[in-house]
Amino acid sequence: MSVGVDTKHDSAVAHVTGESIFIDDRPALRGELFVGIVGAPIASGTLLGVDTNQALKHPDCVAVYTAKDLAHKKWGPVMHDQPILVEKEIGHMGEPVALIASKRRESVEAIIKLVKVKTKSTPAIFTIQEAKQKGSILYKAQTPFVQGNFDKAFQNAPLKIRGTFSCGGQEHFYMESQAAVAYPLENGQIEVHSSSQHPSETQRVVAEALGLRLNQVVCIVKRMGGGFGGKESQAAPIAAYAGLVAAKQNRAARCILTKDQDMKMTGKRHPFENEYEVGFDHDGKILALKVMLQSDGGAYLDLSASILERAMFHMDGIYYLENVHIDGVCYKTNNHSNTAFRGFGGPQGTMTMECIMEEIAQVLKKDAAQIRKVNLYQNDKVRTPYGQLVENNMLPAIYQQLIKSSDYKKRLKEITQFNKKRTGIVRGISITGTKFGIAFTARFLNQGNALVNLHLDGTVQVSTGATEMGQGVNTKIQQVVAYDLGLNLNQVQVMPTSTEKNHNTSPTAASSGADINCAAALEASQKIKARLTALAKEIFAGKNPSALEEFQVGEGMLDEKIVFKDGKITDVKTKKSLALLDVIKTAYFNRISMGAYAFFKTKNLGFDKATVQGRAFNYYTQGMAVSEVSIDEYTGEVKVLRSDILMDLGRPLNPGIDRGQVIGAFVQAQGWVTTENLYYDKERHLVSHSPTTYKIPNVQDIPRILKVDFIENNDVKNNVFGSKAVGEPPFLLGSSVWTAVKHALSFRAGEKLVEITSPATSEVVLRELIKLKS
Amino acid sequence: MRNSIIFQLNQQVYQLSGEQVFMTVADFLRYQAGLTGTKIVCAEGDCGACSILVARFNKGKLTHHRVINSCITFMYLLDGHHIITVEGLKESDELHPVQAAMVNTHGAQCGYCTPGFICALAGVADKAKREKKKLTPVKVKNALTGNLCRCTGYDSIIKAGCKTDLKMTKPLKNKYDTKELVKLLEKNSKKSVEIRYKNKVIFLPTTLAEAVKIKNEHSDLRIISGATDLGVLSNKGKTQLIKLMSLHLIEELYQMKNMKNTILIGAKNSLDEVEKITQKDFPEFSKLLHIFASPQIKNNGTLVGNALNASPIADTIPFLKVSQAQIVLQSVLGERTLNMNDFYLAGYKQLDIKPNEIVTKIILPKTKKSFKLYKISARRDLDISAVTMAVSYQLEKKTISNFAIAFGGVAASVIRLPEIEKMLEGKTFTSSLFKQVAETVSTQLKPLSDVRGSDVYRQLVCKNLVLKFCDEVHAEEGWKRNEVLV
Repeated sequence: MSVGVDTKHDSAVAHVTGESIFIDDRPALRGELFVGIVGAPIASGTLLGVDTNQALKHPDCVAVYTAKDLAHKKWGPVMHDQPILVEKEIGHMGEPVALIASKRRESVEAIIKLVKVKTKSTPAIFTIQEAKQKGSILYKAQTPFVQGNFDKAFQNAPLKIRGTFSCGGQEHFYMESQAAVAYPLENGQIEVHSSSQHPSETQRVVAEALGLRLNQVVCIVKRMGGGFGGKESQAAPIAAYAGLVAAKQNRAARCILTKDQDMKMTGKRHPFENEYEVGFDHDGKILALKVMLQSDGGAYLDLSASILERAMFHMDGIYYLENVHIDGVCYKTNNHSNTAFRGFGGPQGTMTMECIMEEIAQVLKKDAAQIRKVNLYQNDKVRTPYGQLVENNMLPAIYQQLIKSSDYKKRLKEITQFNKKRTGIVRGISITGTKFGIAFTARFLNQGNALVNLHLDGTVQVSTGATEMGQGVNTKIQQVVAYDLGLNLNQVQVMPTSTEKNHNTSPTAASSGADINCAAALEASQKIKARLTALAKEIFAGKNPSALEEFQVGEGMLDEKIVFKDGKITDVKTKKSLALLDVIKTAYFNRISMGAYAFFKTKNLGFDKATVQGRAFNYYTQGMAVSEVSIDEYTGEVKVLRSDILMDLGRPLNPGIDRGQVIGAFVQAQGWVTTENLYYDKERHLVSHSPTTYKIPNVQDIPRILKVDFIENNDVKNNVFGSKAVGEPPFLLGSSVWTAVKHALSFRAGEKLVEITSPATSEVVLRELIKLKS
Repeated sequence: MRNSIIFQLNQQVYQLSGEQVFMTVADFLRYQAGLTGTKIVCAEGDCGACSILVARFNKGKLTHHRVINSCITFMYLLDGHHIITVEGLKESDELHPVQAAMVNTHGAQCGYCTPGFICALAGVADKAKREKKKLTPVKVKNALTGNLCRCTGYDSIIKAGCKTDLKMTKPLKNKYDTKELVKLLEKNSKKSVEIRYKNKVIFLPTTLAEAVKIKNEHSDLRIISGATDLGVLSNKGKTQLIKLMSLHLIEELYQMKNMKNTILIGAKNSLDEVEKITQKDFPEFSKLLHIFASPQIKNNGTLVGNALNASPIADTIPFLKVSQAQIVLQSVLGERTLNMNDFYLAGYKQLDIKPNEIVTKIILPKTKKSFKLYKISARRDLDISAVTMAVSYQLEKKTISNFAIAFGGVAASVIRLPEIEKMLEGKTFTSSLFKQVAETVSTQLKPLSDVRGSDVYRQLVCKNLVLKFCDEVHAEEGWKRNEVLV
């Protein structure tokens, strides 16, 4: 049994011994070139020229390329609005303007500095408020999500709050910065190895940039050193840079960004400023809610439209809203083009809701958990603002179990008592939730294909469009196929993702990598199994074809009485058994295919943006978390004392890997809401462009006590083996740390409302404390 | 004189000269030795992906292996060292116990930070085994402060550390046969090193007399210690390291001494060693060093290096000032001893040091005075401070004497506030007095805004730290009060 058990990551041994190969670990070929990117020195303006004279005089500089060397000048995952290299208009600071090719790695930085970029500045827009004033819009939601009658309900509501929830961006900080290496092949072909979540997009952008046909480009992804959404769209141009130099010079070329370059140049999580009006009653029940979600898309569209929409889809959080109006707009600014990041807008929506919950509790001077309980999706109140019903709703059960297991009530009392005394420390506790819709909201992306080859020694190679970035998707695919064919895990090898084996792959994103690709791999595996089942049945029946005949099984058929387990095929009825290896041999000599390709698409999906109706998601992954924090009132420093997390993952495919996803997502979100602060100077250079200045959580920052559990749920029907997706949903639970800070501050607020932005850095917290106390 | 460096990398002994000598260790490992398990992420010693284990030969004996950042260390600094990389931890086909534990706990996700974590864990496991101690979550966390992971949230890695089978852990010292290296070093250890490549030169003298002589002849020579700052500046193109001298082959500079009235700290004593030797007499300073930086940095960085860096945010300087520490400078003309308060001149990184002088030690005078040290940064561990404050004082009942206060991160250099110090002399310790001090502090200090905090925030923190100091003294002395000051 290999499904539902805690098997080790398929790369674990290679990882711990340092044998895993990442892009820049590949040995350089003879004559290989190193590609450097010259960035724009201004955030907004016009490119007047690129002076390459000095650079070309450098002994290691082979060439400098600009936009005119590209066959196709623009790229973009949705709209082609982003220059691969700037032609004329500069959209943001550090935007790629030119490429240099160096014989030596050591000379890349020196040559970059020798390229002189001449520009003319124009006024820039850096904030949502500036963009709003100037009407600088990238995308506006087609139709707001409306349910009930907001205006009437708000008017009649006894209590009201108007406010704004603002959250900052977030650097992905994948450990492996963007990287690609390209090898020129015969017939003008290019093989590009990329640290990419989206090999097909990378293949497309490389082909377009170089003026090649898609069949001339292969993109291969063995693994990424972290992705988190940052390599969904943004890996493609980096691969195009390597590809361009490789094609022009007919030599291998690699483009490896340093951490500083990567952080300065690439897009991040979208900052949001969400304005809300909420009406509620004395029990804290929300009667009316209106929200305008406003995001900073940066210079280009990238995936910002879908991200804004997902923020709207997740504005409700885990709460039923009877009268609601949700609208959204994404602004165009002169910031790096913001992009996908774990949660994809979901966190910015849901956290707004949790912020509102905390404020309602403060106004009513009630326990915020009670307010949340009143508003939770429950019983027949399961209709979302966009019409989809929350089926198999686990939220009430999760709430009940977690409040108990975290000892919430007792701890809240203790904290309230503790805070009465002035000790220089103030504490807070808060519970928040996630109800994350699983599926790409763009329906066409919910497709995948897989190739499974069963070899004569009984081992299997599986190829899918899934890319491995640490999340363990390959391990899950391995488990599913091994289970299906009754093999040991080490008999199943998941191959590097390659566009020559799998076509039109969707990005490994939206938490759905395992859902789609395990399902496709299972379907392919079952095709082989069906043929072998038919063959085994013939053998069990005593058939023995003569030399002139052979077994004829066609596509065969699965039969639950014929079981593949432990390297054997057994008829459970007759208890007759055959060694799988023997059947494989027989199949080969009888010319029966043991390779299969399968295509999978998620069923029952379809959402109409115009009418805002339909099934946007296949199902919801749900969970809740309770976090407790303490604040040093002298300095504003926040410590996370304890977090309890309870997730519904159906029947997890691999509880060990899923636990790692839950904790990893939670801690990443904790960073987003506390210490991760993007700091720019006046010209909009990112100053916090390395770990010295940009503080992701380290080992001492995680909750002092951290408890993670899964609630039992055997009722998941519409996903592979009754499992649920896990990558993004727990990220939304990091909000509990931020709301706990808000709760702690409320003890020093008197009659005032605590108003903090996210991240709640020491500075934000201290300044709010001073404000509240004055 | 020799013109090559000698070291052993896992099982192989190397003798290098020329360009490779001047490479960072990480570059050499990855692009010359083909050991790509060691990763470069930040290239500034802040993420630990480049962690390796090194041991120094000291009089024919190998010291214990300690974990360092290979991305900001240069090959010449490892002359006379044994290096173990992640590739060198396996025992033929058997995983090292920390590797096995990491596999079993799902401690590796994407795998990019993993080799660094493995080396840090192997280091702490080696130490625990040696000291016959268990690996507790606290120990493991402290050992991993210098390693960043973006995937796991650390929980599984901490578990791996705690579940490491120490019975199966063999001492790193015995892992490799180092006879060949020892022999080579015996033949060469008395010889000083001078290596030139293009316009670069590195001197590795073996005696202080020689070092002083070289410094006298080359006034433009820079002394490189643990390279924890110069390595970063060089990697980020902010300085060029051309003409350098490292003192790491001079044994007498490692001689740390705990004497009756003083603690002597040699120029080559690491911050880790200083943290340990000051534990009893200067517990506050030792505690500060605990969160000062990662193990990787503290194993390589020196107190003298931090003091000479003279940055306004160098965390040790406020303490060195209020503790009246002394610094000893040596030149061909002889020795000079200066009080730290005189050694630092006004202005950014201005020091009373002559071009031909070398700092040989720092002297901490033991005292009855009490100390309180504060470091405020965005993240508690492994972060550069926004503000630091150091206070020394004596109390006779409630009467204050010998009060000294210094702030870092609020001006071009670490500053004392002599007016406040004078004003407090002989006064009775009361809350209202310190409220007044806090107000004065916040009006006197004019900090700047930068990535680590705005001017307003820094002012608020300085003021609050004075209040915190007052509250902490009240608590410690058992003086009853209803409320704290904040």
